[in-house]
This record gives sequence, structure tokens and C-alpha cells, in this order.
Amino acid sequence: MNTIKRITGIAILIAVFMMSNTNTFAQTLTGKQIMQKVKDRPDGDNRKSTMQMELINKRGKKRIRSFVSYSMDIGKDKKSIIFFKSPADVKGTGFLTWEYDDTNKDDDRWLYLPAMKKTRRISGTSAKKDYFMGSDFTYDDMGGRNIDEDIHKLLKVEKTDGYDCYKIVSKPIDPKDMYSKKISWIRRDCLVAHKVEYYDKMGNLLKTLTISNIKKIEGFWTAQKMHIVNHQTNHQTILLISETKYNIKIDETLFTVAKLEKGIF
Amino acid sequence: MKHQYILLIILLWSNFAFSQEDKTKLDFTGFVDTYHAVRSQSPNDFMSSRSRFRGELKMLKGKSYFFTSFNAVHNSILNSQTGIELREAFFEYSAKSWDFKAGRQIVNWGVADGMRITNIITAMDMTEFLAQDYDDIIMPVNAIKLRWVKPKYNFELIYVPIPTFSILPYEAENPWSVFPISENPILDINMDNKPELTLKNSEYGARFSSFLSGIDFSVSALHTWNKMPVFTRSLSPTFDTIFIKANYYNLDMLGLDFSVPKSQFVFRGEGAYYIGEFHAANSQTGNLEPVKKNSLNWLVGIDWYPGNDWTITAQYSHKYITDYLDVLQENENTILSTAGITKKLLRSTLSISTFAYVDITNSGFFDRTSIDYALSDEIHIMLGYDWFQGDKGMFGLYKNNSEFWIKAKYSF
Repeated sequence: MNTIKRITGIAILIAVFMMSNTNTFAQTLTGKQIMQKVKDRPDGDNRKSTMQMELINKRGKKRIRSFVSYSMDIGKDKKSIIFFKSPADVKGTGFLTWEYDDTNKDDDRWLYLPAMKKTRRISGTSAKKDYFMGSDFTYDDMGGRNIDEDIHKLLKVEKTDGYDCYKIVSKPIDPKDMYSKKISWIRRDCLVAHKVEYYDKMGNLLKTLTISNIKKIEGFWTAQKMHIVNHQTNHQTILLISETKYNIKIDETLFTVAKLEKGIF
Repeated sequence: MKHQYILLIILLWSNFAFSQEDKTKLDFTGFVDTYHAVRSQSPNDFMSSRSRFRGELKMLKGKSYFFTSFNAVHNSILNSQTGIELREAFFEYSAKSWDFKAGRQIVNWGVADGMRITNIITAMDMTEFLAQDYDDIIMPVNAIKLRWVKPKYNFELIYVPIPTFSILPYEAENPWSVFPISENPILDINMDNKPELTLKNSEYGARFSSFLSGIDFSVSALHTWNKMPVFTRSLSPTFDTIFIKANYYNLDMLGLDFSVPKSQFVFRGEGAYYIGEFHAANSQTGNLEPVKKNSLNWLVGIDWYPGNDWTITAQYSHKYITDYLDVLQENENTILSTAGITKKLLRSTLSISTFAYVDITNSGFFDRTSIDYALSDEIHIMLGYDWFQGDKGMFGLYKNNSEFWIKAKYSF
């Protein structure tokens, strides 16, 4: 009996120690610091992925878009280029983006339209709020949002779907932003979001993003499936990420208008 | 001529490609579309009825690339348009910091939408005037292009040994004919005065383009042909025939353009000085020989992206002929503006758009409003209305040509 008590006591002590340790660690990091760690998570100097986007309406009808994406870090800034491979009517269309860490500086964006054989300079700000190719992701949702555009607050550390996560609420500084807040569950083991809830301007739940198939590829944590559901329209989008490669032999000349116009095979 | 082109380009491609070890990649895409338009006023006749198969073949091997696109067209209104047409056929070789492109290719200089200020090396197919997609209006050119590519700028040299001229419809059966139907006197139209294929008649130019954070700009210089002819008229001794002759003249151009994004807006501008442009001239007693003058051409435009898949654009262009003479048919100042609105709905499956040209000089306009619905990723159905208003100028000529149209497109 005494032995059982002793073991139970030790177990409780360990649990208390672990909890206090967790809280101590969590308390040492602010919401912004965690989000910064997520952003700064090692992902190589450059990367390439093939993406397939399934757009599923409330009747279950699917539309598929596929594209190839390249990105490269230039100091704190990032350059990316994507080329559409399907559907046929947008094949060859390309987006080139130069994203800046400085929130006071608009991103630079170009759109290439193959039918016209012409590149257009497009707005670097407004398009971020638009939905990407009819999906449930805005350009911001896909990673283009700067950390300083929101105020982040760590709510708690909790277990969600079996993962230890930081629960963080992010509220936009700009009152005209399309979301009133976002709640993110960031996995502590890999600093990748496991789930994100998006709330509309009225404070109602608009969308839930679930990220799965998170694996280490070439030593870098990589999310391979992103599933976002719009609860208000019952539309959903599944983004499948494959053929991810890091630190490939590319240089800055890939992220130019000339390359955008050439496209890829 | 076209077959010789393809042969030459394939030869070039194979020459480069077989010296490389990479595997050849092939891709064949295209679309089938059918377009039918009916005049919205009496006699409510068909203005257009055509179907087309577009094939596009791409071949890549290492740094060598070959592209060809062709149209197989059946036109129920204009029988002369039925047939197979080569659109583009070019070979391209890309090295790390330069590329070379030879063959029939689309050149699209400048930042203007639906107008040409610096892009005057490109001819226009006006078979159905502006009442067709703009990518069907601009014509490929037979060019050799060498370009240096750097992360923030490009410099290209272009040489066009065989100039391409705009297609102007003049046949009486074409509702878009640039000449009114006349039975007395009859019109005798001679369009066959294009320059000979000699080295002296080739075109050449250069363009420097820079793409920087917050601004794109280009400067260009071009020795070219005015793709639009200058018409001269004369009356037969018996006064029963008007002889109309198309005359083609050289032209030099110095141009620049820029795009500046600012918040939700993109500001665009383009300017060109045409040196030695010939203009049609009339006196009280009749037609005079064309007169050579310089002109200043400029355009400013604004694109507004307010979000929620709205796009709003507006452009204003101005042409000013220097040292103006009253005998010139063209006005000293010509002003043309455009306005366009596009809204995408239903997750980009439905697009509603309107684009209008406003001829401020002649108080006329042309507006194309359309609805484009994607039945699936491959099939689009489009409905539209082309509305012409005015008594004078280019839109006045077609004031009875307002039309409803329908188009279906299957892409593969």
C-alpha cells in the first residue's frame, strides 16, 4: 500500500513538475515569439513543391487545380513563383511575388497571362485578401501574411488531437481586415500549425484549417496536406503538397519576369 | 512560306536539341471554340459564325524549346477565313543569362490594355474589328529576338526580316469592312502595295526593361513599318469608279512605359514619339499625297483592385500631330479612353465584365459586356453584347453593328 502511495506520489510529482515546466516554458515565450519561431522554422534557403488543390462544393463536386511552386529566401524577404499546370484554361498562367518583411512596404506581384503573352503588374496588397483561384485559401492564408500585421497572444498550452500545442489568438491590427481573429494550435514538437480557426468580422467561425501529414523531408518539417472548410458555405479545399525539395540548385534569376513568361514544362 | 518557316525552326531546334543529353518533353494542348453573333437591329442577320480548333505543341529538350500553335477554322459568314492557319512557330534557346528566339511569335510591348502605343511592331487582325478577344486581334510577327536576362532588368534586340501588316477587311460581304458599300461610284480597292521582302525593308529595334521593387519601366526604340496603310483615293475619268490605294510607310519610334503599384492601385503609363509618320491628306479639290509628320502618343491608366475579386481599370490616350497642317484627314489631337470592370463570382466560376472604348474626339464608343460561366474546369459558356454608338470616327462606321453573341469553349 505504501509502495503504491509512494509511486502515486512520485507520479503526481512528476506530473506537477512537467506541468510546471510546461507552464514555465510557455510563460517564457509570448504569442508573437512563438509565431516568429513558426515563421523562422528551418526550411532551407529555397524550396520547390508540386501542389494539387481540390475545390469541393457543398454538393461534393470537385474541381482540381495543380501548380508548381518555387520560393527562395533573400535575407528576411522571400521571392516565390508559381506556374499553373491545370486546368487547361489556366495552364501556363504564372504568379511572381516578392514578399517583404517590412510591413510598410507593399509586396511586388506580377501575373503572366499566356493567351496574351503578357505580364501585368498587379497590386501587392489587395490581392492578399482575395481567394486564391476559387479556393477557400486567401493569399494571406497561404503564408503571405506578415507576423506584425496581427497581435498574437498565447492563450494556453493544451493537447489537441494527441499533439501538445500552443493555442494562440491573433487579432489583426487593421480593423478593416477580413477576419476578426484567428486561433491557431501550433504543434510544440515541430512548430507547425495543426489547426487554425478563422473568425469573420462578426466574430462567427468562418473557416477551419487542419494541417496533417507533417513529416521531416531532408531534415525539415514539411506539411503535406492542408484541409480548409468554410463552415458558412460548406465549401472546402484540400491542398496536397508533394515532391517537396529543399536547397535545390536555383538562383535569384528564377524569380524574374523573364522566367515567369517562359513558364515551366 | 509558312511551311518553310516550320521546317527552318524544326531544323534549328533539332540542331540544338540533339547536342544535349536531356530527354525531350512533349506537351500538346489547345481548345475548341465556337462563336456566333447576331445583329441586334434590323435585319438581325448573323454578323459572325465561326468555329475553331486551336492546337499548341510544345517540345523541350534541355535549353532548347520549340512551340507551335495553329488554328483550323470554319467560318460560315466569311468563306475566305475557313482553313488552317499557322499562328506561332518559334524556336527558343535559353542560356543562364540570355535567350534567343526565332520564328513566328507574339510580341507584346508596353502596358496598355487593348491599345497600342509602343507595341507598334505588332500588327492587328481587324477582320471583325474589336469585336473579338484581344489575343485574337494581335498578330504574331516573324522575328529574331536576342535577350539578356538579369534579375532586375532585360535588354532585348529584335529583328523582323519580313514585316507583318494589319489585316483590314474591305470585302463587301464582311459587315466589318472599313469601306461602306457603294454601287455608284463603285470602289476599286487595291491593298497589294506592301513593301518588297528586301533587307532594306526589314524592321529592327531594342528595348530595355527594368523590374524593380515598386516600379517597372521600359525604354524602347524601333525602326518599323506603320502596320496600318494610308489610303489615297482617285476618281476614274468617267466618274463611275473610285480607286482606293493602300500605301505603306516606314516609321521610327522612341518609347517608354512604366507601371507603379501603390496600395490597391497600379498606375500605368506609356509614351511614344513617332518620327516620320505618314498621314492621309485632302484638299478642297481632291486627294493629296500623304504628308509626313511626327506625332506624340501617350497613355495613362489606372488599375484598381479593391478586393472581393473586383478589378476596375481606366485608360486615357492622346495623340498629338506636331506641325499640323489643315489638309490632314486626322485631327491634330485624337483622344481615346477606355474603362473596364470585372467581377468574379461563385468562386471564380462566373465572371462578369465590361470593357468600353470611348472615342472622345468623335463622340463615339464601343462597349463589350460579357458573362463567362465555367460549366466545368474545361468548358466555358460566354454570352455578350457589343454596343456601338456614334456618327463619326471608327465606332461611327459600325453604328449599325451592335450585336449579341454567344461563345462556347472547351480547353484540353
